[in-house]
Amino acid sequence: MNRDWINLGLAAFVVLFFVFMLAPILIVVLVSFTSAGYVSFPIPGWSLKWFAHIFEYQPFIDALIVSIEIAIGATILSCLIGVPAAIFLARSRSAWASGVMTFLLSPLSMPMIVIGFASLFFLSLIGVGISFAALLITHTVVCLPYIVRTVAGVYAGMPRSYEEAASILGANPLLTFWHVTLPLIRPGIMAGSLFSFLTSFDNLPISYFFGSASTNTLPVVMLSYMENQFDPTIAALSTLQLLLAVIALLIVDRVYGIDKMTVAG
Amino acid sequence: MSDTSLQKTSPGRRMRLLAPPFLALPAVLFLVVFFVMPLIDNGMRSVISADGGFTLSRYASLLTDGFYLWIIAQTVLLSAGVTIISIIIGYPVAYFLVRKAGRFSGLIIFLLIAPLLTSIIMRTFGWQVLFARRGLVNNLLVDQLGILSAPLRLTNSPEIAIAALVHVLVPFMVLSIATVLQGIDTRLEESAKILGANRLRTFFEVTLPLSLDGIGTGAILVFMIANGSFVTLVLLGGGMQTLPLMIYQQFNTTRDFGMASAMSMILLVIAVFCLFLQLRLVRRKGT
Repeated sequence: MNRDWINLGLAAFVVLFFVFMLAPILIVVLVSFTSAGYVSFPIPGWSLKWFAHIFEYQPFIDALIVSIEIAIGATILSCLIGVPAAIFLARSRSAWASGVMTFLLSPLSMPMIVIGFASLFFLSLIGVGISFAALLITHTVVCLPYIVRTVAGVYAGMPRSYEEAASILGANPLLTFWHVTLPLIRPGIMAGSLFSFLTSFDNLPISYFFGSASTNTLPVVMLSYMENQFDPTIAALSTLQLLLAVIALLIVDRVYGIDKMTVAG
Repeated sequence: MSDTSLQKTSPGRRMRLLAPPFLALPAVLFLVVFFVMPLIDNGMRSVISADGGFTLSRYASLLTDGFYLWIIAQTVLLSAGVTIISIIIGYPVAYFLVRKAGRFSGLIIFLLIAPLLTSIIMRTFGWQVLFARRGLVNNLLVDQLGILSAPLRLTNSPEIAIAALVHVLVPFMVLSIATVLQGIDTRLEESAKILGANRLRTFFEVTLPLSLDGIGTGAILVFMIANGSFVTLVLLGGGMQTLPLMIYQQFNTTRDFGMASAMSMILLVIAVFCLFLQLRLVRRKGT
């Protein structure tokens, strides 16, 4: 009897916890459909006008394009240098290889605002300055760890026998990689790329330092919009972004499994 | 990973299949140039005075001036507070997820991860809407329940900024604790009960000590991210002054880049210390 009460209390606590977790998100989704000209809750009526308003504000559109280009570019760059590194690190057991792994993952542990601030001065010093290339470089620094971690995670759990079979049958290392290893680690590359894309797309503390008319990313424009205005456009834009994230999450779950992701995290 | 026997028995084949170390070279070089070098450059800037000489005056004032010390203290206290609240809220949820959820565990994991993928702007905006002048809370208090006659000014209070940070970070805590709880042999708890310990005593003397590693991993992670957070504080700050906010201000308005660099280095030292603790914890778990 006592035991039932404890379980009931625990379950009630978990329900309250998810109310706390979901309320701030659901409220934004609801506000994005408001017919009111200001932010209020509950909403007086339904309308899609704030979604239309997103597309009337040119800086949002420009920034959206920059954000997508940077997120894709940084993800590709991260894969190009991160996948080979992950392949080596997943199979090596030497002490210095684990040191290299720690180093490649370390940008995740550093405050982003410090990375952004320090990179701004350093990149200006070497002539990259505030530019598309600068955004691409700094975003790759924080996207790379996601690729390395997921690809190494998948590859380490993969039996060696497939590659052994290929090499016994006479395939050279390049052929083995292309026809055996790459298809096997594809789920890791997919999942890592999606996390990398979302990380870059949502990044504000780094992008903030590289803001200019042609290099403002979406979060930077949203922040400056929010500092001056408080209207439901931000809600509408956030709702669209959430839709993108949920679709991405479902894809990750399909190809990789959410459970594995959390254990690796 | 699984077949260590193969490694021992056929070193020749292992050598052929082992990926060569140079594969890691591009990634390592990239981070050395675009991650380590900027931080070194930043460190140099923090110790070079306006006239080009060497100076430690910025660190001297950061570590002795009451104003700056209070900022560092607020940064650490805020992160510590968020971490402790996350443990208190996150532990029961993790326990429920592992021991009680049963067929709901998939749903719970989804609900935990989904918010991690929403943008930081969206969540901050959500808190603003909840506590805005015409937001849900004021609406309930004034119009629905009639407790107050005029809406409260709720946004920009430290409590809401802390709640928003906990909201962002508590899923990391839940997942860290759940991972460790999952690995605890439930027979240990059963033995304690058979030997006469009641539920409470079993929890505090068996389950909790065994899950300390998960709490530790989660705490370091949460502390580390809270420490560098600034978007939440810019928009919901509530008058708190932390190092990331000061760096942002120094960059934007004061434009004292040397001082901002020195503050960055302090923040970096805290982060490196956390990383060190994290590695020690992982290594201990490995042995």
